[in-house]
Amino acid sequence: MQQAGSSGSEAEVTWEDQQNINKFGRLNNRLHELEDEIKTAKETNENLEDAGNELILTDEEVVRFQIGEVFVHVPKDEVESRIEDMKEVTSKNLEKLEEEKESVVAQMTELKKILYGKFKDSINLEED
Amino acid sequence: MASTSAAAGGGEGGLAVAERRGVPAASFVEDVQTYLSESGLDANSALAFLQERLQQYRVVEMKLLAQQRDIQAKIPDIEKCLDIVATLQAKKGTGEALLADFEVSEGIYSRARIEDTDSVCLWLGANVMLEYSCEEATSLLKKNLENARSSLEVLVGDLQFLRDQVTITQVTIARVYNWDVHQRRLRQAVATKDS
Repeated sequence: MQQAGSSGSEAEVTWEDQQNINKFGRLNNRLHELEDEIKTAKETNENLEDAGNELILTDEEVVRFQIGEVFVHVPKDEVESRIEDMKEVTSKNLEKLEEEKESVVAQMTELKKILYGKFKDSINLEED
Repeated sequence: MASTSAAAGGGEGGLAVAERRGVPAASFVEDVQTYLSESGLDANSALAFLQERLQQYRVVEMKLLAQQRDIQAKIPDIEKCLDIVATLQAKKGTGEALLADFEVSEGIYSRARIEDTDSVCLWLGANVMLEYSCEEATSLLKKNLENARSSLEVLVGDLQFLRDQVTITQVTIARVYNWDVHQRRLRQAVATKDS
């Protein structure tokens, strides 16, 4: 976890500095959450891809498609379109998450510049 | 019930919230010297007090994280229920029965034939299950989903507030400690100069 450590420098911490540090901490937490969510979304995408491929290979007409906790007997075509829809939803979600992650990283870089500028060695903003 | 005190929210602007959900806000220390003289504490007692505060914050954080995990687990469950009810409603018009394989016990599945139906039973918890029409079930589930999502939002806000207070306290601890080290150095310098 990143901490604001000090080594006895003379730079005083103002309320604005404190707010910047708080914001950095919050962004860092959000970054970790986003990375986890992105990983899950990528896995879901892969699973849907695999499912789609399996579907093409199978010659059964009726596929057991999981809805909730049960496996419903659904005709193959309907399963195909359902999987397509799910893939679209997941891709859009993934895009949104990647965008948010970029923005968070940019904001964190900005804050790092400001905080290192004022505190130099007295503050540590890196992952340990 | 989550209750937040009415004050300018978030701490992004100039004003900070005095307390939120029963958790006192960490007061920002403008100047360490003034803080210590006003509170009448010496550096060590101040550090001990701040450490204790930090511990209390951590305890509350654990609690909130556990609540967050619970809600995050509940939301996909409610969405799955909505899916099933929607599927049943879609089948209603066609007159065909719905065939589904479900788990009887771990690893053992059985086939169910679900005829056209106008009602579903919803498990409300506490060993209670009620029968609803499909429309009522959908609206109840949607309402539960909304509630869960907004509780999650409030919870996330509370956690952010808490983490801010933890950060402020950590920074204050560092500053008091450094001030103390600085003072000792000054005293030593004066002592060696005099001797």
